[in-house]
Order: sequence, then C-alpha cells, then structure tokens
Amino acid sequence: MKTNSLWKDAFIRLAKDKLALFSLVIVLIYFFIAILSSLGLIASDWSQEVGASNLAPSMEHFFGTDIFGRSVFLKVIRGTQVAMSVGVAASIIAIPIGVLLGALAGYFGGWIDDFVTWLYTTFSSVPNIMLLISITLILGKGIFAVYIALGATSWVTLCRLIRGEVMKHKEREYVQAAGAIGGGHFRKLFRHILPNVSHIIIINTSMQFQIAIKSEVILSYLGLGVQGEPSWGTMIDDAKLELVRGVWWQLAGATVAMFFILLAFNILSDALRDALDPKLKGK
Amino acid sequence: MTKYIIRRLLYMIPVLLGVSLIIFVLFNVVSGDPTAVLLGKNATARQMADLREQLGLNKSLFLQYLDIVKSAFTFDFGYSWATKQEISQMIKQGAYPSLCLSIPAFVISTVLSLLISVFVAYYRGKGIDLFVRVFCIAGMSISALAYILFFQWFFAYKLGWFEISGFEEGFPNFISYIALPAVIWIVLSIGPDVRFFRTVILDEIYQDYVRTARSKGLPEIKILLHHVLRNAMIPIITYVVIQIPSLILGALLLENFFSIPGLGGITLNALNSSDFPVMKAMAILSSVGYIIFGLISDILYTVADPRIKFK
Amino acid sequence: MTTPLLSVRDLIVEFQTGEGIVRAVNNVSFDIPHGKTIGIVGESGSGKSVTSLAVMGLLQKPAAVVPQGEILFNGVDLLKCNETKMRELRGNQVSMIFQEPMTSLNPVFKVGEQIAEALRIHKNLSSKEAWEKAVHLMNQVGIPNPAVSAHKFPHEMSGGQKQRVMIAMAISCEPKLLIADEPTTALDVTIQKQVLELLHKLQQEYRMSMMFITHDLGVIGDIADDVVVMYRSNVVEKNNAKHIFTTANHPYTKGLLACRPKLGANPRRLLTVSDFMTEEGKEKVVPVERVQIFDKETVPDKNDHILLEVSNLVTQFPIKGGFFGGTVDHFKAVNDVSFKIKKGKTLGLVGESGCGKTTLGRSILRLVEPSAGKIIYDGKDITHVKHEELRLLRKKMQIIFQDPYSSLNPRMTIADILIEPLNIHNEGGTKAQRYDMAKALIEKVGLKANQMNRYPHEFSGGQRQRICIARALMLRPEFVICDESVSALDVSIQAQVLNLLLDLQEEFGLTYVFISHDLSVVNFIADEVGVMYAGKIIEMDKASSIYKNAKEEYTRTLLSAIPKGETKQPLASLV
Repeated sequence: MKTNSLWKDAFIRLAKDKLALFSLVIVLIYFFIAILSSLGLIASDWSQEVGASNLAPSMEHFFGTDIFGRSVFLKVIRGTQVAMSVGVAASIIAIPIGVLLGALAGYFGGWIDDFVTWLYTTFSSVPNIMLLISITLILGKGIFAVYIALGATSWVTLCRLIRGEVMKHKEREYVQAAGAIGGGHFRKLFRHILPNVSHIIIINTSMQFQIAIKSEVILSYLGLGVQGEPSWGTMIDDAKLELVRGVWWQLAGATVAMFFILLAFNILSDALRDALDPKLKGK
Repeated sequence: MTKYIIRRLLYMIPVLLGVSLIIFVLFNVVSGDPTAVLLGKNATARQMADLREQLGLNKSLFLQYLDIVKSAFTFDFGYSWATKQEISQMIKQGAYPSLCLSIPAFVISTVLSLLISVFVAYYRGKGIDLFVRVFCIAGMSISALAYILFFQWFFAYKLGWFEISGFEEGFPNFISYIALPAVIWIVLSIGPDVRFFRTVILDEIYQDYVRTARSKGLPEIKILLHHVLRNAMIPIITYVVIQIPSLILGALLLENFFSIPGLGGITLNALNSSDFPVMKAMAILSSVGYIIFGLISDILYTVADPRIKFK
Repeated sequence: MTTPLLSVRDLIVEFQTGEGIVRAVNNVSFDIPHGKTIGIVGESGSGKSVTSLAVMGLLQKPAAVVPQGEILFNGVDLLKCNETKMRELRGNQVSMIFQEPMTSLNPVFKVGEQIAEALRIHKNLSSKEAWEKAVHLMNQVGIPNPAVSAHKFPHEMSGGQKQRVMIAMAISCEPKLLIADEPTTALDVTIQKQVLELLHKLQQEYRMSMMFITHDLGVIGDIADDVVVMYRSNVVEKNNAKHIFTTANHPYTKGLLACRPKLGANPRRLLTVSDFMTEEGKEKVVPVERVQIFDKETVPDKNDHILLEVSNLVTQFPIKGGFFGGTVDHFKAVNDVSFKIKKGKTLGLVGESGCGKTTLGRSILRLVEPSAGKIIYDGKDITHVKHEELRLLRKKMQIIFQDPYSSLNPRMTIADILIEPLNIHNEGGTKAQRYDMAKALIEKVGLKANQMNRYPHEFSGGQRQRICIARALMLRPEFVICDESVSALDVSIQAQVLNLLLDLQEEFGLTYVFISHDLSVVNFIADEVGVMYAGKIIEMDKASSIYKNAKEEYTRTLLSAIPKGETKQPLASLV
C-alpha cells in the first residue's frame, strides 16, 4: 500500500479527469502568454500598423486588423495580459483578507464574529456592479483602480466560506485533541484547522478568477478599466460601432479568447470542488 | 417568529449605517474636491467656494455622513449635478422602463430554468443531462457583452425582427422594445440558474429519505417532484429572492445598449458625467433593496424549512 | 416442507469502483420461511446490508452489478422483475426499516403524511382514509397521542419515536416480508429494547416474515428463529438461533459470541475472533487460561492514593433566547457531581445520550469550563488553573475520544500526530529521539513502525483508535479519560481495544475514567461504576456488585435492557 496525503489523493483524482487536466493546461497557457507579454517578449509592438485598416482575418493576420491597421491578434494577446493580471491582483488582495477575517471570526466567535459578519454583510449589501463602478470612478479610471475594486469585492465570499468551515472544524475532535495535548489557540487555528479548510481557498480562487476576468471586461467596456492599452473590454466597445459595417473580427477575437479561459476556469472549478471537497457542491 | 423578524429588522440598521459609511468614504472622503471637475479648468477660487457651499460640502464630514444616512431612510437624494433634476423624480421615471424589462425576463428565466433542471435531474447521468451541462458551462463562458452585441446586430439589425433601441411607455407598446433585451436576459440567466438548481436537486437525491421513499414503492417522478423538489426549494427560494433587488437596478448593460431610459441607463449616464449624487442615490437604493429582500429571503427560508424554529 | 417466502440462491453482488470490481456479496444463499424471523449477523463491510438492498431492488445502479443468483419471493425471481413490478412490491409486500431514523424521514413533511403516502399508492385509500389509518398505525407502534403526533415534523420527535414512525410506515400495507437493517443501532439501550419488543410483537400479529440485520449477535437472540452469519461477503454459518448460541460451528461465530463482554463474569482479557481463527480462516485452539473467569476484587489494592477528586461539580451552558439573543437560562449538563478515583483504578461512567457524561469528562480536563465545584488532582485544586499551569496539567491528564474518524487531523501523518505533543511541551530530546519514542509506542499499541508516515485515512477504525491511544500516551500521562472510546467499533475490534487499554493500564499504572453507554463494557473494564442520569450520578458502586444488586430503578431498567442473547452454557463449553 502506498502512502498518500489527502492533497496527493485529490491530485490523483484530478489527474484522472481528462477534461479537468485539459482545462488546467489551457489556464497555464494563458498564464504563460500573459507573463511573456508583460515581460515585453511578445506583442510589445501591438500598436504598430501592420496593414490596411479593417482587414478581414487571413493567414497573414489571424484575427484581421482594426481601424488603425493594427493586428487584432496582438491586441488579443495584450488583452490576455490585462485580464490575467486582474485575476491575480484580485486574488492577492482577497485571499489574505478573506482568510484572516473568516478564520478569526469562525474560531473566536463573540464580538470578533459579530464585527466580521457585519462587515461582510455590509459589503455584500451593495450590489457588486455598483461597488465596482463606484470604486473605479472614485479612484480614477485605470487598471490599478480595477485591481482595488475587485479585491474589495471578492474577499467577501471567501471570508464567509472560511468562517463557516472553521466553525465546523472547531468542534471536531481532532481540534479538541490538540487542545487536550496542550496546544494553544494559535496552534489549533493555524496548524490544525486552516490546513483542513485551505482547499476552499483554491476552489474559491478558481471561481473568483473568472468573475474578475468578466468584471474587468465590463469595466473596460464602460471606459473605467485599463487606459491606452488594449483590453478585451475595449475591443468589444470598438466592435459596437464596427459591427454594422460588417467588421466582426474584433468582437470575435476578444470573445473567443475570453471563452476559452472562462470555460477552462469553469470546468476546473467544478473538478477542483469534486476532487477536494465533494460536500461543497451547491454552495 | 415575530421576535426573529423584529430582530432581523433591527439588524438592518447597523448594515444600513455600514453601507452609508462605504458610500460616504468613497464619495465624500476619497473622491476629494469635485468642484474643480464640475466647473472646469477656468473656475475661480470664489466660484469653487460658492459651489462647495451650495453642494453642502462645507459641512463637517460627520454631518455629510448623516446626510447620506438620512437619505437611506427618506429616499430624498437631492439634485443631480448633471441634469439638475430632483433625483427621486428621476428614479420614479426610470423605474417603469426598468421593471417592464426586468420583471417578465426574470420570471420567465426562473421558471424555465427550474423546468429544465427538474428535467435533467430526472435524466441524470444520461446524454441529455450531459448535453445541458455542457451547454450551460459553454453559455456561461461567453461574455454578456458578446451576447448583447451579437443578438442586437443579428436579430434587430440584420433580420429586423425587433426594434434596435428605444422605449415607449404603455402596454402593449413596450413589448417590441423589451422583447429582445428580455430574450438576452433569459439566455444569460439560464446557464448559471440551471447549474445551481441542478446541483441542489441532485444533492437531495442522494439523501437517506429518498431511499425511504423508494422503499415505499413511489415512482421516481413522484419522488422527484414531491419529496426532492420540496427540500430543494429551500435553497432555491433563497437564491431566487436574493436576485430580486437587482431587478430594481435593471440590467445596466442591456438598458445601455438598447437605450432604454431605465435606472440602469441613469446610472451609466451618471457614471459618464461623474454625477456623484445620482451614483450615491443608486448605490443606496440598490443596497436598501438588497437588504430588504435579504430579510424576505430569510423569512421565506424559515417558512419553507420546518426544522428552523424561533422562539 | 413448504416453500419459503423468500429464497436467496447463490447471490453475487459486485461494485464497480475506481480501483476495479469489488465483490460485496459472494455466493450467498438462505431462506426465510413464512412467519419466521431470520437474523443476519456480520460486521461492517460483511455484505449484509447489500444483500438486503438487493432484495428490495434498491442497489445503486449502474455501480452495482448482480452477475449471478436468484432472489425468489413467493416463487418469483425479483432480479428479473422490471421497475414497475418492483414498485408494486416495495412498501406493499416487502418493506424496509433503515438504521438512521434521523435522516431516513423527509424533514419537510409531517410524519402522518409520510405514513399515509404508502397507503395511498398501494391501497388506493383516499387522503382522509389514509390519514386515519396512519393515526391508527401510530397508535399501534406506541406513539403517544397519535392524532396530535401525526401532525409533527420528524425533527420534533425523539430518535426512538422516529424509528417507530419508520416501523409504522413499513407495516402500513401489511407486508409479507419486513427487512430491518440495524433498526436499533442508533438508539439508546432502553429504547432499543422497546423497539425490539415492538418489532417482535408486530411480526407475530401480522404473521410477517422478518429479515433482521445487525452487527450485534446479542440483539438477535431475543427475536430471531434462524441466524445467518456473514463474514467478508460470505455466509459462514446458518443455523437455528438456539444452536448458534449453544453449539456454534464456525470459529468466527464462536469468536463473535465470545468477544462481547458479559454482564457477569469475564476472563481477564476478552477473547477475540483471532483467538478462534487464524487470518486465513482456519480454526485455532483457545488456550484454557484465556477463558478462565477473572475476579477483579481478588486483586488487592496496591495503594490508597486518591488521584482525582471531583466534588459538587456543575457545568452549565447558557440557553440563548430573549429579544437580543441574550442568555435567558442555563442548562446544567453536569449537575452536582462528586466522586473519587484511586490511582491505578478505573471508574466507569455509564448513561444514555444526553445524560452529561461527555461534558463531565471534558470538564474534568478543563476542555469545557466548569461553573461550580472543585476538581482536585493529585492533591491540587485545578478547577481554575490557567495558562502555563494548565498546559503542564495536559501532560498528566489525557483523553481518548469516541470517533476515530474525526479525532485525527486528516492532513498530518501518524508520526507528526504522535510527535506533536512532545513538540508542544518541548520534551523527548532531539527530533530523532522523539521519533523513536513515537515508534516504540506505535508498536506497543499494535501497529507497525513502517506505517508511521501514512495518513489517518489509510487506517481502519480500530487502527485509528489505537493511534489515538498512542497519542494520548506520548506524554506519559497518569490519568486518561476514555470517552466512548470503543463505541464506534465493531464488537470484535472493540474487544481488542479493550484488551489493549487494560494491558496499557497494567504496564504504565494508568488511572482511567471510562465513559460509555454500554453497561456490559463498563462492567468489564471498570473497578467502580457510576450511573449517570440527567447530569447527576444517581448510583455508584463496585462494578461486581452494581449489576447484582442495583438500588436505583433506572439502573435496573438499564440492566434489563441489555440484550440477553448470550449462551446459557458456561463459557468454557464454547471451546
């Protein structure tokens, strides 16, 4: 009999799921493209004119050209960088806040719990889209404002889930056993409970990532997002006027690029949930 | 039960104070002085001071915060910076087109999603179930903007089946204007709705009491419609009711694309002209809606689930 | 001989799992004659429940496959029936009661409605007639005030009442065959007795056949005519109930009979299945000294040192309520409890669920804060010690929990789990020395040192409980609370763990507080027994005398509720 930690077991289950593995590969490819692009190794010359205005897709220009004769393909790649960076930034802001507040509230209860519950109830009472457009408007349009806005909205779900799960685990006998051998609060919470609820962070991040991408596209479409750089949202905004002239490739390029990453994250979230915590279904 | 409702009602106060605090911090503290933006580059210091006085920005921060709190209860939001209209009047006018679109679209999409999920739950694991699941996930992976743009271009512009944009009051005139956006709304909602409903229903199907029902000799369809659905309705009701406040705001993007003069359209116009009072008003209005329907959903939850008792 | 009502012939059931095909039922054959009760006995995973689900046609398809066999009911092969035909039979001619009354009823429907449902489908009764019949049935299964109770929801009833509702539902259409799958396992012992008597009475009244599935041979003695013993998917013995208890043939059956502690005399260590049978299933000869009756009182007290003294202990929990959710009242889970334990002895605490025995154990260890009273450990008042002192106390006082599945951190290896106490208290020298200590202890509790880098989920329930015991002993405590530590285990495993606890007590001079709902287990392991009821210890006496001359009525009820399915012959005749 071989020995496996629960993580390894979960990974083996995940690896058996071909569709999930394929989705993971797609996600990794997108990350790879985004990193190369942000290092300036690819698509750094996206603003160059490569041909005539509004050329239809061809072997030379995969996704055609836009009104200024720029390659739509390169713009899609630049947009990938923007979209992925938003997902990463939102996670970097949301995870520490959500996990810390959720864990403290769930573990200690009492007034800490009352305060944290009030805080996330308040934040979730303002509809996300209102909070997003308000924050980006106030902080001044641009990618930085989008990061902050998404960070400020996406910690809420994670916090709620972690709080609930920590409350459940707090009562389990293994945590009581840790107390019985002399372990303090810090050990019980961070060494025992958190590793047992950490899968929620992974599942939630995978779900929040697609929300972040979708939100960035909408904010950029509304003109609140990235300025002076292509994003899938601004490309769709361009397409709004182009479509009647039969220029459909900007819309198609952005939609197709978005479709695959969202699809991959959708499938991956489901597969992660099944592999890591089948009980989380429907929450 | 009454006690629970009263307690729950009282809890709305700290939440409303919190929401007001978020809005206050954003629009009155972080935003800085809006007068420069409003008056343009050539404004004199004198003009700016007058405007500050006029907008109530000379008051202490605490009083400004109180104004926001007060507006959350009185719905008196003052005047728009851009149109100079009374905001509560604008909201009254905008609510009608918004609701004309959102209510039918919401009802149809919820009922349709529920029917589809019961259907696929019955045929779980079969080809049709897989097909619907794939369809949902694929549908959810396409940007809402792409749907709107394509549908508008194809059905309204290309085929000419619907009005491209605009709105007219009164039944049945508005139907030709809201039909296409409503269809898009339904297409957009069915994916996530069916996915959620299906998971909830399937969660119930593997419970012990379903085995008991089978051991009584009940036919599968009766077990599904009677035993399973009744239990699954508990989370489904919560999910559905909590969406209702978003109907007030209307579909921001849909109204924008189809030039429907609803609340969503008002919000986006305010956004484009940095019309802070209108933005604040919409944020407060939608939050109050959210809080109220959150309460209703909690109460319905206790009605639907006999296990929850309040003394 | 007339044809039996149910005849299972060469039945094989297999499950397709990720790791390949697992055979859950292997070539099983047995008959259930008209009007008789057949007991099917076996431990968890022996295939007994799968057999019953196969009869009901409720196997989870497509995972379950039946490649061979017949299930003849009144001469009709149920395996060949289509779903429509099966539906007509289910709940009508064959019905079933499940183990978990808590989850087996639909939480959102009134119980009367759930009973009436089967009547409406199978007997074509109108809603009103069906409801009246349901109320009548509830009366028959002994639910007080049935006309009112029928309007209750399942969560408004106790476990025993829910199981009675399940029974009413099952007999509503007067079935020919009633399948009861561990119907009393989740219930307290006094309730178990009532439910068993009810089932027996109804079986006689309705002239039903009954298939009674249980892991506890003791339960079966009172009601079964014939017994089928299952072991690892196979039937190892079929016999008349009387014969099973007197002249069992198969070594596994003998082992099962012997490993359950008796209320009266027991050997020094319990016999286990492995005393009768080798790993390969071959019969072994049990050494005579293993079966000799041992009287604890013949062992002289080595010292009179009182290790723990609890006086007037109260632990209460606030009852929330009122307008702002404030505390309106207190619930006294432990109410004025006093006792003393001598060093090296075992105090048994016995009581039914909700009597406060678990809270008492946790209060002594200060895992729950007591509200009043005193806990004196080794001459020192520990009722209010804090921080560092409390931490040091943890080295001396330990606890072993009930559920071996939730009491080990699933993300830590066994080595990490065992070494953690040493790390917390910074004891045991270097890392390597700590590892060696853990290794020594894991072998002492009967596991192999090379299993130490594995994770808890790779061990069986009994093995996990051994790991929990090892963890509790890592700091070399003097005093250990065993909180229902063997309740979740199969009887044969339970005997092994009880033996291990006694061995360890002898070797390390441990003092135990042994908490359990099972009087016979407590009687076997403890020197003194306290009976708990509603937060109080109502009676306390030497283990050997409490079952002979109990003073309190409640103690006598508890004692009489223990299933009497034991051999009438002296134990030695088993060998």
